[in-house]
Amino acid sequence: MSEDIHEGFDGAEPSLFGTPIGRKDFLFDSAKLLAAAAAAGPFYLAAEQADAAIEASTSLTAGDPIALSAVNAAKQFKGITLTKTNESGLQALDDHNFTGPLWEKLTGIKVKVIESPFAQIYSKVIAEHIAGTGGIDVIDGSPVWMPDFAEQKVIDPVDSYISKYKAQATLNDYHPLYRALMKYKGKTWGFFDDGDVWNLYYRKDIFGNAKLKAAYKAKFKRDLRVPRTWDEFTETSQFITDQMAPKVYGGGEGRGLGNPGNQFYFFQQFRARGGRFFNPSTMKAEINNEIGVKAMQSIMAEVKASAPGIEKLSFVDSWVNWLQGKTAMIYAWPPTGRISENYAQRDKAFNFLPKSKIVGKVGYALMPQLNGEHAGSFVKMVSADSKNKEAAYLFAQWATSPSISLQRVQLPYTLRDAYRISHYKSKQFRSRWPAAGEYLKALADAANNAVLDPIMTGAADYANALDRAMTAIYAGKDIQAGLDDTAKEWDRITNKLGVAKQKASYALFLKLPGSTSQNTVAKRGQAVKISA
Amino acid sequence: MATRAETTIPRRRSRAASSWLDRNIRWILVAPSIVLVLALTIFPLGFAIWASFVQYDFSLGLDHPWVGLDNYKENWSDPVWVHSLWVTAALAAVMVAVELALGFLLALAMMRPFPGRRALTVLFVIPLFMSPVIVGGFFDLFLRRPFGPMNWLLGQLLGHPVTIDFTNDSPWTYISLIIADAWQWTPFMFVILLAGLAAIPDELYEAADLDGAKPRQSFFFVTLPLLAPIVLIAVTFRFIDATKLFDIIYSLTRGGPGTDTYTSSYYLYQEGFELFHLGQGTAGSLMLMVMLTFISFWLVRRLLKPVEA
Repeated sequence: MSEDIHEGFDGAEPSLFGTPIGRKDFLFDSAKLLAAAAAAGPFYLAAEQADAAIEASTSLTAGDPIALSAVNAAKQFKGITLTKTNESGLQALDDHNFTGPLWEKLTGIKVKVIESPFAQIYSKVIAEHIAGTGGIDVIDGSPVWMPDFAEQKVIDPVDSYISKYKAQATLNDYHPLYRALMKYKGKTWGFFDDGDVWNLYYRKDIFGNAKLKAAYKAKFKRDLRVPRTWDEFTETSQFITDQMAPKVYGGGEGRGLGNPGNQFYFFQQFRARGGRFFNPSTMKAEINNEIGVKAMQSIMAEVKASAPGIEKLSFVDSWVNWLQGKTAMIYAWPPTGRISENYAQRDKAFNFLPKSKIVGKVGYALMPQLNGEHAGSFVKMVSADSKNKEAAYLFAQWATSPSISLQRVQLPYTLRDAYRISHYKSKQFRSRWPAAGEYLKALADAANNAVLDPIMTGAADYANALDRAMTAIYAGKDIQAGLDDTAKEWDRITNKLGVAKQKASYALFLKLPGSTSQNTVAKRGQAVKISA
Repeated sequence: MATRAETTIPRRRSRAASSWLDRNIRWILVAPSIVLVLALTIFPLGFAIWASFVQYDFSLGLDHPWVGLDNYKENWSDPVWVHSLWVTAALAAVMVAVELALGFLLALAMMRPFPGRRALTVLFVIPLFMSPVIVGGFFDLFLRRPFGPMNWLLGQLLGHPVTIDFTNDSPWTYISLIIADAWQWTPFMFVILLAGLAAIPDELYEAADLDGAKPRQSFFFVTLPLLAPIVLIAVTFRFIDATKLFDIIYSLTRGGPGTDTYTSSYYLYQEGFELFHLGQGTAGSLMLMVMLTFISFWLVRRLLKPVEA
């Protein structure tokens, strides 16, 4: 992606505010702006973003060529309806309130959204494919499913469209981690659309508390600091809980089955501690080795240091505790940083979350031992069964183009997170709250050091087996026995899918940046350096 | 003007049509239901049988080669499937027993007139009309630690703090499922048994009374024998339904912790519709159907025994 595209978008602000105006005009304009904001209420911000998106998609001078070319080409399909998947709830609001209406306004193409819980997008897409209905045009799904979708011809490669619409340049603007996730077996299968790497969010006021620091030093003979290893994390977490519970607990990630999926916690620590999922030669599962047991013991120590009942909480429940100031550290997806500053809660869609009591008190750090999990995320793919493939591709190109995606990752009510280099550098985004620059730098750093979910055939089966095994361990099952059973189940899945096939798939995965802690974007020397 | 030949031919035709209609009217009348049964029952059943013998698995490809009994073997080699069968049988047996006992006690209590009896009867029946998913969701909110009020209520009753994880710790997960299911389905037993009790003629009790029978003897020698066929009907229906337990599991425990509360239906749902191992899923559902058919057959035979005798 050429720098001038995102510079062009950010450059829109000086053109608005850079023109010299008189005091009277300034006061009058300010009054108009305030009145408009008051009238628009929570949608004011989204309205501002919609204007920016329209300008980027239509203006020949200040526009984004990737968005412009998509819109101009898509006009030939005016009158059709594109059906796409999305996660139900907040994610789908992007399509309902922003992307869908804008796309229709610009091209005359309607967007219909099929909503389902994240994991069920996978089954819904497959069901439609098996039935051969052609009922889905754009698949907003996880890159983890991409190998299965590609192998079973559920999705079409988009390389020919990328060439046709000269969209190659847009790929260079992606963070290298995310750029790699659009490809499988040398082909491009969609546009990546959600930078979902976990970071550590911590309470600066708690870590700066003089009494707590003194107590920590007295106990451990060293200074209290934001944890840098997993052992330090559990130790610090337990210390804070011992000192401050029930008012504040050290940590508090929701561990409910499938919500978000316990496998992410294990995948993250297991790799950060140097583990690999399978022996690449034999494809025997290695999750039950010494590293796996240590990772699981550490997770159990985290659970012990968390608020009671965490085993059944969802990640949204964890957010509630965090926003109410009941948690000292939380590691989670990027929206955590936005909701901490009440940025998201200005929209009524976020009314289900309390207002943040920790505004200005939140610091951002890399995960202990650097490697945050890239958990879930989305790629916009074109369904092989679609009757409107080109229009579906053009929608994906437009929605993920630098300028449009920049507006979408700033929408208060959705959960899409920065993934382009231009997002991290955006002056507009950096002005959203005082520490937004630090936040965006933290997201880029996290992507530099991230480890990926296993992106290979059978990923959903492996994840399901581990998720439910972990809930059994939380409920008291012996760690080694639990992991041994899971390893057996993984081996059974591998045998069923075919050892040779899985071996090839895993070998492809190992080539991706972030497949292990030794193969991250940073370790490959491709880190993106962003200043705060 | 029509000639004679022209007027007789249509008459003959209409007579022929009428006669064809008379001969085939029974087939015409049943045809819509036959088409419906073929489309909605026979075809899906045939398709399921076929799918259970081919490779119908999204992860393995969608070209469906014949695999014989592999899908059936795959189920039996999966410890989760075998475990789910035991869980299903145990949960169904305990749930039906609890509901039968409670329903019977309630029905006996409601046999005697007292003020507010009608209103109470209506209240007891309301849970029957609720969706099981809602019931599961309600009990999840009620029992979930730390937010649910159950621990607090128990703490107030017992006078000390209670911290039971009803939806995550064994055996509480099973107990929670039984409570939720019994809350919804005890009224079913209650309604059927109440009708059965009301149908027993008073003369029989009067005769027993004249013969000097005590209330306990009247109960064991009059009430129970006459109620037995009704009990068997209620148990048969409830047991078949309980073996399909899915909704409450889905919304209350999601089969967890681990696979502790996986019932066969929940396992098959996950294999078939979440992971798309459709061949394996349909093989499992056919095996379950055969098992249930045997159990139902046995129960129905028991049910018909008094009639045949």
